[in-house]
Amino acid sequence: MIQVDISKCTGCHRCETACAFFHTGRINNRLARIKVMNLYETGTDGPVLCVQCEEHYCLRCPENAMGFGDQGQIIISPGNCTSCGVCEKACPIGAIEIFNKRVFVCDLCGGKPKCVEACTEGAIVYVPNAAEHPSLAAINRETKKMNPSEKRRHYLKKVESVLQNRVYAND
Amino acid sequence: MGRKGAWHHLLNMIIKNGYGGRVLRVDLTTRSHSVEELDPVWIKPVIGGRPANTKRLAEELNPECDPLGPENILIFGIGPLTGSLLPASAYYTVTAKSPLTGILGDSAAGGQFGAEMKLTGYDQIIITGRADSLLYCLITDSDIRFIDCPELAGTSIIQTTETIRQDHKDYAIQVAAIGQSGENQVHFAAIVSSGNRVNGRTGMGAVMGSKNLKALAVRGSRSLELAEPLAFLEETKKIESAILQHNEYPKRYALGTTMLMTDLNDIGILPTKHFQEGVCTYVDEISGQKLADTYKIKNKACFNCNLHCSRYYVVNDIQAEGPEYETLCSFTSRLGCESLPFALEMNSFLNQTGLDSISTSEVIGWIMECQEKGLISPKDLDGLHIRWGDTHTIRKAVEMIALRAGVGDKLALGATKLAQEFSEEARKLVMQVKGLDIICGDPRGIKAYGLTYAIASRGGDHLRAEPFFELTDRKDEARDRFGTEKAADRLAEEGKAALVTYSEKIALLTDALTMCKNIGLCMDILNLENASALLKAGTGIDYTPEYLHKTLGDAINRDYELNTKFGIKKEDNTLPERFQAEPLPQGPTKGSTVDIQRMVNEYYKLHNWE
Repeated sequence: MIQVDISKCTGCHRCETACAFFHTGRINNRLARIKVMNLYETGTDGPVLCVQCEEHYCLRCPENAMGFGDQGQIIISPGNCTSCGVCEKACPIGAIEIFNKRVFVCDLCGGKPKCVEACTEGAIVYVPNAAEHPSLAAINRETKKMNPSEKRRHYLKKVESVLQNRVYAND
Repeated sequence: MGRKGAWHHLLNMIIKNGYGGRVLRVDLTTRSHSVEELDPVWIKPVIGGRPANTKRLAEELNPECDPLGPENILIFGIGPLTGSLLPASAYYTVTAKSPLTGILGDSAAGGQFGAEMKLTGYDQIIITGRADSLLYCLITDSDIRFIDCPELAGTSIIQTTETIRQDHKDYAIQVAAIGQSGENQVHFAAIVSSGNRVNGRTGMGAVMGSKNLKALAVRGSRSLELAEPLAFLEETKKIESAILQHNEYPKRYALGTTMLMTDLNDIGILPTKHFQEGVCTYVDEISGQKLADTYKIKNKACFNCNLHCSRYYVVNDIQAEGPEYETLCSFTSRLGCESLPFALEMNSFLNQTGLDSISTSEVIGWIMECQEKGLISPKDLDGLHIRWGDTHTIRKAVEMIALRAGVGDKLALGATKLAQEFSEEARKLVMQVKGLDIICGDPRGIKAYGLTYAIASRGGDHLRAEPFFELTDRKDEARDRFGTEKAADRLAEEGKAALVTYSEKIALLTDALTMCKNIGLCMDILNLENASALLKAGTGIDYTPEYLHKTLGDAINRDYELNTKFGIKKEDNTLPERFQAEPLPQGPTKGSTVDIQRMVNEYYKLHNWE
């Protein structure tokens, strides 16, 4: 899985740009499977992408179009997918989004993630065969009625508050 | 929609070869808009960004118009490579007739706005008229909405930005807004995007305010496609490694442009007490290093940049991005202030109310010097008396400017116009060229910069040429390229007209590629060869170094012709008397003055202008 350290993120969107370009040959943040948020009130920056959560909310796909890869990444069967939007709604952190009738979610680039290569700050790190997967159950309760953009903002704020609590605890 | 129709729709969503291919015209008076195709023949010689904006203004503006009237044309422009893979290339330029100077006005900023504007498929957004009440425009690829926003009157930049994003439940919306200063039409008000990214110079925020336009919000969904993606990728990789391997990289990464505080002080040209001195004794207390060590909490970056030279800081109960060198110097040594926390507080205040830090500092610094010399009494200014380093009164004065409260209403016209009420002696002390307040670098120790301030088509500014070469001491190269080794000697006047004539082309090229000047120019990364390769791979148009050289020259002539229409004459290309007649009193530039006439004459000869 890909781990994010938002304290190192400068908000440059290089990961997002690289993701869109290497998957599609084009540049557009809507084509990216990692999406960077810049929250100006607090200066918070950070990419949001699939964290391979313990609950796997998106796998409740009614068309059976979603499955796992060997690295835990989500794999979509285009033949089965009807772009119904259930996975987008189900993901608690906005890491899945539909654009132009296609589902965009991190596929780990087959084990060599381009976003990690593009990041010069060490804010995103690839951890193969990660043993632990986070639970999003608590966040899921809070973000049910939100759209993916709102969910990403909510999630990032949560990550930041956890980070700050940790910093204060160490003081 | 039939199957064929659906495909057609998808193809329309692709931005081919870098250009969105569309120009959006917005008339705020009638709250209407129209979309035009971008004419490929029209755009090719001007490429994009600043030169394209200037051409548009030259063709469509009535030069006699009131800069703060509905007739003025406000243009937001980007280029073919904006928001592409090219690092540090997401600047956007805002152009209009300047209310501060009455001539060509423009200002560029980085951040995220330009990259998102690209995805709307508009290469230029041209705004005319005046709305009957405060509104903002939300521009997407298929729609433009005029949204009344009385509740946003008086709100800060970040508050405006976040409110618009929340209202539309989309946090990828990018917003270029004005604060209170722009709404009040302070003549040097700024437009600010991405929270702290400032189009500061020449009062573009006042033009926006005069149109009752609180903000321009963009959100696109078109996909940018380059003509030869792999060739383009190769070219950008070369630029990326040139940045990473640059000897200034570690310093720029740590300090950004604030590194210049000690760099300029070391050569005796750090403006101190309104350019009366060039050496600041307490520079280590206000330096970029001190800022990084004490208040910086992390790096920040513009879209797709791998330098990450911006910084986020926390001081007392304030947190903000920045400051850049110009703001830091403007509110420390230039005003005789020793407090770094004060400068950081002012940076945040100026960014959130939307004021240009250089022009704000100049009007205050000029009053300070005139009051010290007895040329202006507090009585003349409603009791306002400012002494060097008096942070309390400076803060009060800046707030009055933003609100146009009391005497702040007069200060809001800028130093040049305010000085008209006072004596000849006082007027001479305004550090301005063509009405634009001079940046923080004493030209007595950097002569090519002095020439740049004098000839710059938007007034006293360095970014039109940024002739850093004179600081390099590369004597052999200087002889080969500019005819004399003196071109690489900062204290010499010889060869500087040739240097500026070259360097202004690269500066313009940087603006056309909407690239950052720090990287393109100061780090010496961009040149005619790699730029033509990037443009060719990006647009598919056969750009060559020779073609660029010629067409950039034409664009510089266009600036000159436009400013002639605005009434600019050769004698306006000069420097304040101080720099010509008063030698600096101490330090490594001690004793130096600028023979500006000689350099301007040579520069005019090289351009065949008379």
